[in-house]
Amino acid sequence: MQPSPLANPLATVAQLETPGSQLDRIPPDLEDSAHFAGARLTQAAGILLRLPQEVVAQAIVVFMRFWVGPEGGSLAEFGAEQVSAASLYLTTKLSAYPKSARSLINVYAYLASLPTTCIGLEQLKGKMPETCYFVTEGTYERRRTTLFTTEQRILRTLGFNVHVNLPYTLCITYLQALDIFTHPRAPELAKRAIAHLNTALLSPQFLYLTHQPPALATAAIYLAAREVGIKMPECEWWEVFDTDREELGFLCVGMLSLEGFAQGERDKWEGKKCPMSVEDMEAEVKRRREVDG
Amino acid sequence: MATSAGTTPSQGLHRRFKGCSKIGEYEMMRKLGEGTFGEVHQARHKVTGSIYALKKILMHNEKDGFPITALREIKLLKMLSHDNVLRLEEMAVERPKAEGRKRAILYMVTPYMDHDLSGLLDNPDVRFQEAQIKCYMLQLFKGLQYLHDSHILHRDMKAANLLINNRGRLQIADFGLARHYDEAVPQRGRGNGDAKREYTTLVVTRWYRPPELLLQLRRYTPAIDMWGAGCVFGEMFKRKPILAGQSDIHQAQIIFEMVGSPNETSMPGWDELPGAEPIRAFPPHTGNITQRFRELSPVGLSLMKDLMRLDWRKRINAIDAIDHPYFKEQPLPMREEDIPHFADSHELDRRNARGQKQALPPAPAGGTVGGGPNGEYTGSGPPPQGWQNGAGRYGGPQDRGPPGVDRAPRGGYDRRPPPYEHRPPPPPPPGEQRRPNWGNGTDRHNNSLPAPPPDGRHALPPVPRYGPNDGDRRRGPPAAGGGDVYIPSYGADGPRRSREPDDRAREDRPRHGSRDSGNSREGYTDERADRGRGYRDRDRDRGNDSRNFGRERRDGRTRSRSPDRRDRDRDRDRRGGGDRDTEVYRRR
Repeated sequence: MQPSPLANPLATVAQLETPGSQLDRIPPDLEDSAHFAGARLTQAAGILLRLPQEVVAQAIVVFMRFWVGPEGGSLAEFGAEQVSAASLYLTTKLSAYPKSARSLINVYAYLASLPTTCIGLEQLKGKMPETCYFVTEGTYERRRTTLFTTEQRILRTLGFNVHVNLPYTLCITYLQALDIFTHPRAPELAKRAIAHLNTALLSPQFLYLTHQPPALATAAIYLAAREVGIKMPECEWWEVFDTDREELGFLCVGMLSLEGFAQGERDKWEGKKCPMSVEDMEAEVKRRREVDG
Repeated sequence: MATSAGTTPSQGLHRRFKGCSKIGEYEMMRKLGEGTFGEVHQARHKVTGSIYALKKILMHNEKDGFPITALREIKLLKMLSHDNVLRLEEMAVERPKAEGRKRAILYMVTPYMDHDLSGLLDNPDVRFQEAQIKCYMLQLFKGLQYLHDSHILHRDMKAANLLINNRGRLQIADFGLARHYDEAVPQRGRGNGDAKREYTTLVVTRWYRPPELLLQLRRYTPAIDMWGAGCVFGEMFKRKPILAGQSDIHQAQIIFEMVGSPNETSMPGWDELPGAEPIRAFPPHTGNITQRFRELSPVGLSLMKDLMRLDWRKRINAIDAIDHPYFKEQPLPMREEDIPHFADSHELDRRNARGQKQALPPAPAGGTVGGGPNGEYTGSGPPPQGWQNGAGRYGGPQDRGPPGVDRAPRGGYDRRPPPYEHRPPPPPPPGEQRRPNWGNGTDRHNNSLPAPPPDGRHALPPVPRYGPNDGDRRRGPPAAGGGDVYIPSYGADGPRRSREPDDRAREDRPRHGSRDSGNSREGYTDERADRGRGYRDRDRDRGNDSRNFGRERRDGRTRSRSPDRRDRDRDRDRRGGGDRDTEVYRRR
């Protein structure tokens, strides 16, 4: 057995059908919201920790893997925030940019002090009053314990499959193979393609868990070329990159649907926060039940 | 990646991930080894009937969560797949059951191998034929070629880390010190290349440590593993380590006695290496390798010399070693299946064979370990005193590891404590007897005992010269003793424990400059802001009510998960709204 260096272990259909959260009767839309917010939180924390996108992307994939399948984590048992923090901690530990538990906890405390869970770059630029995110020694100790226990649970749940192959470099390689960089607007295309790859990380459809890096890279290039208006070869060039038409189509739809989804999330949680902890999630579920009568 | 080679089809793009399997899928058979690190068990998979070795990873109060060394080893092993590299089948988890145990115990599941090379060479009933040695060396080189080609430095090449089964297969094991190699990989006929990056020199067990590491070359290459392979090559003829230095400086000395003093021809640039100073005072040697290895043919000797070349740039690489004429001359390498079977050389059997010797008391702190000034010590009495950085443990006849390596009298699988597994395990369940102390520092496992002299991990000051930031504050390596002046000793921690954190400190952190600024472990106090209540103090605010969240919903569920959830819930109920900290701990 020689594992391909380009391939990731993927989630099975059965695993996708029965996520732990749903078995715990978490409403599916709430589950999607929490996954989306958790992934965004990871991304934001990665930016504040000055981590390269490579590391952040790996952390998000680890975060997503955790929720998959009946043996996976459930939002009734683990808050999206704690899993996000532990995924990032675990990933940095294995990367060339290890971060201390203290840094992680401080950054997550800061992000939790923000008034919204739809964290964008604007929010990260602003400065919160320092009193909002002070972490006492006791709180630190407790959160660190949580961090470590969650980390271990992630490792167990993933069967230690923490290695993640990413499509970014493949994407550049494919662009070179397609001879795109001779085009004057190639940088624009490349930027869009990378942006699509970053966006796809946040997908509630777990695009990174259902498709291999070559397909992700190909779809991102396909979409980017259409948006930028650069003509691609007439032939079915994606076949060269191990992607068939059907998969390409599915991924394009999946990637494009994210914008609408993100907008929906923003509207849904405007003025409040998506439940990121077990308690908040419970409260939200209870609230909904009351509303429904 | 593919978790279980046995059950998961894992070619190409069709891979799946699944969680750890449960320890209940295995039937424990017998203990293969025990020591400071915990245990290695032989186990049978209940479904397939295959035999595996299960290595326990103990984690208790780890300061940084899951031990990075274990994580690295697991991650590397999961990416590797070669006939001559020990395969990590999967991880198995033993969920906490007893009240006293809070966290799960994890096991690394690897194929069961009958011997380790060190134990085999120690077995007086085993004689290697040259054709057999060739077979093993070829396998070793193939494994190394694969590792190096995969950009991995093993960094702990030695006989004890080479496992051998009764079908003649040799596999490289123990990747606790291994790391990704960031440079171009060795090419045919071009030696081992050059490195651009700096790595920590605190690697490789001393007896197998190449001269460039002793001279503190930071930009080392796969050549360091090839030197170790050379040592193993010699060891297979001599049946004992060929370069058993008592201290790091002595190690350099005996290396130069064997292969000749370094000069600008034999080791260009040696003079500029940080550790060169004490070497200049050595009397010049021309080397006695030819006399020492008279049993080797001229071709064999040339391979030996190629492996033991002082110049790391010219030292033979694994690709070329495989093609060496030595493997084409008579006697030709034996085929794996022709290699004779050996009686099991496992710890418990070997221990029984040795009679009472194993029950020796732990050595006093700073004590000695088996082996003699030049490795001639055969274990027929207490070894000479006075080694500065020995493991502080009595080794006995079976202890073929060098000082600094925690190797008690034992055979296969019981090599030395991996770097992670050094925390005390949970207190034994009531009624269970404390494990016998094999003179190996197991006493430390019992929390009620005083500080552990047998382990030698007593209060020695950290060595300041470990780098800009006081090196390793977590486990300061004990200061080097008198004769060991130019290379810091590993001290009694065992090489890996004291090395690995430092590895991280020196390799990972500083080189990232600004990226890390403000986020390093040293910097965190500055990140704290003014007083105020932190965000939702979820742990503190959690009441009984919330703790039961999801539980009733889970009742009547159909899925098979989480016996531990039930336990946890039960515990939770029993405890009511008890101790908050325990509660938090238990919850997660």
